[in-house]
Amino acid sequence: MKRYLFPGVVLVLAYPLLAAGYPVWERLGALVLLAAIGASAWNIVGGYAGQVSVGHAVFFGFGAYSAVVVYTHLGWPPIAGAPIGMLLSVAVAAVIGVPTLRLSGHYFSMATIAVAELVRVLSSTSEFLGGAQGLTGPAMPRTVFDLSFLSATPFYYIFLAVLAFLLGLTWWIERGRMGFYLRAIKDSERAARSLGVSAGRYKLYAYMLSGAFTSLAGSLYLCMFGFVDPESGFGILISVKMVVMAALGGAGQLFGPLVGALILVPLEELSNSYLGGRGAGLTFVVYGAIIVIIARFLPSGLLSLFERRSAKPAAKSEIASGHAD
Amino acid sequence: MLIDARNVTKAFGAFKAVDDASVTVEEGDILGLIGPNGAGKSTFFNCLTGDLPVTSGTVSFAGNDVTRLPPEARAKLGLARTFQVPLTFESMSVLDNATIGALLRHPNARDARARARDVLQRVGLGHLTDAPAKSLGTPGRKRLEIARALASEPKALLLDEAMAGLTPTEVREAIELVRRIHGGGITIVIVEHIMEVIVSLAQRVVVFHQGREIARGTPREVTSNPAVIEAYLGRRKVQHGAHL
Repeated sequence: MKRYLFPGVVLVLAYPLLAAGYPVWERLGALVLLAAIGASAWNIVGGYAGQVSVGHAVFFGFGAYSAVVVYTHLGWPPIAGAPIGMLLSVAVAAVIGVPTLRLSGHYFSMATIAVAELVRVLSSTSEFLGGAQGLTGPAMPRTVFDLSFLSATPFYYIFLAVLAFLLGLTWWIERGRMGFYLRAIKDSERAARSLGVSAGRYKLYAYMLSGAFTSLAGSLYLCMFGFVDPESGFGILISVKMVVMAALGGAGQLFGPLVGALILVPLEELSNSYLGGRGAGLTFVVYGAIIVIIARFLPSGLLSLFERRSAKPAAKSEIASGHAD
Repeated sequence: MLIDARNVTKAFGAFKAVDDASVTVEEGDILGLIGPNGAGKSTFFNCLTGDLPVTSGTVSFAGNDVTRLPPEARAKLGLARTFQVPLTFESMSVLDNATIGALLRHPNARDARARARDVLQRVGLGHLTDAPAKSLGTPGRKRLEIARALASEPKALLLDEAMAGLTPTEVREAIELVRRIHGGGITIVIVEHIMEVIVSLAQRVVVFHQGREIARGTPREVTSNPAVIEAYLGRRKVQHGAHL
C-alpha cells in the first residue's frame, strides 16, 4: 500500500491542473472528494465499529439544511451553518444512538433507516425548511465567504483539505485505544465488554463523530450546489451511497471509502449524463447489484485484494508454525 | 473474601436455572464449579461475570456490590473471564487480541502492545504473535482467551470450560498453565466437567445439580459423596428379575 501513497498524493494535488479547461472533469474531481468525505465519515461508525447505519442521511441533511437555513433566515454565508450543523448532528446522534445502538446487526440498521425516513417526511412538511420545494442558497456571491465560484476547482481544494483532515483524524483514532476498541466491538461485543471495553460508550462516541463529519459533508454539498430539498438532503439514496462506497472500497479501512468514491461517482455521473432523467431509477438498480456482488464475493472490499496479496506469504508461515506447536 | 455471591437465583420464565446458590471465593483460591450438563453452573458463572443479570440475590467482588454492574465495569474491578466457545477477535492478529485486554490498564497503545507481547510469551503463544487469530485452532484459541484475560491484569480469572475440546496432552498443558497463573497470585474459578481437571487443580469444589448446590468440599470429599455420584450417574435401581 505504502508505495502507492506518494504518487497518489501528487496525482490528487495536481488533478485540477490536468482537468483545467474541462468543467466536467473539474466538477467530477470535486464530487469524488465530497462523496469520499461522507463515506469516510460513515466509515468511523459503520466500518471500524461495525455498526451499519443506513440512516446517515439524517446528518447529511442536517448539515445541508443548517447551511441554507442560516442564509435564508439570517442572511449569513451558508458555510457559517456548518459548525451549527455539526453540533446539531452530535446532539441528534446522541439522541438516536442511545436507544438504537443497543440493537445489534440488522436491527440497528433498520432503526436508522426508520429515523432517517421519519426526518425526511417531517422536513417536507416544515415551512421553516421550505417544505417539499426545499431551500436555495445565494444566487449571486455577495462576498467570498459565500463560496460561489465559476469553476469547481476551489471546491476541489476545500474538499481535499477537509478529507485530508478527516482521514488524518481517522488514522490517529485507528492507531490508539479507541481504534482497537472499535474493532474489538465489531468482532465480538461480548468479548470486548468482558475485557473492560465500555462498548456502549465507544459506539456512541464513534456515532457522534461520524455524524458530525457527515453533517460537514452536507454543508459543503450545499455550498457547491446551492440547493437542498428533502430528497437530496434526507433521501435514503444518500445513506445507501455512503454504505456502498465504503463497502466497495473496504469498510473499516482508512482509504476504503475514497476508493469506493473513485469508482462509483464517475459511474453515476456517466449514467446520469447518458440516461438523463430516465437514469434515476437505474441508479438504485446499480447500487443494489453492487451490494449483492460485494456481499457475495468481496465482503472486505476492493482494498482487501491488495492486502491479501501482500500479506499471504507471512500468514502462511505463521499458520505452518502454528501447526508445529 | 474476593467473590461473594449470596442467594443467587436466575430464572428464565418459570424455570430456575440457578436456584438460591451462595458461593464465596477467598483470595488465592482455586474454586471448581462442577455438575452434570444443565446443572446451572455456566448460568451461575455468567451471573458472576455480569453477562446475565440475576433474578434475585447479590454478587460482590473485592468489597464492591457488583450485582447491577455490567460486565465491563466488573472487568475494570479486576474480574476477567474466558468463554466456553472462544470469542476470538477474528479480524485481528494474535497480538492485537491480547492488546485489547492490555489496554484496560495501559491506555497507551504502544505500552499495551508491549504488555500483550509479555503475556503471550508467558502463555506459550510467543511464536504466534503476528499470526492472524483466525488461523488458530481450538487449543490456540483457548490459550488466547486466557492471554487476553490475563493481559487485563485481573485479581480473579474465571475459566468457563477452558479445557473442553482439548486432547489429553493439551489438557495437561492447560492445567500446568492454570497452575502457573495461580502461582502468579491470581484467584481462579473454574467451571469444568472433566473430573481430572478439577481433582488436580481445585482446592475446593462446589457441585451443582438442577440449579442447586448439592455438595461442597475438597475434590476427594465431593467425589465420594453419594449425592454427587447419584447426580452424575443416576440412581441405581434395584429391579427384581432385571436381566441387565
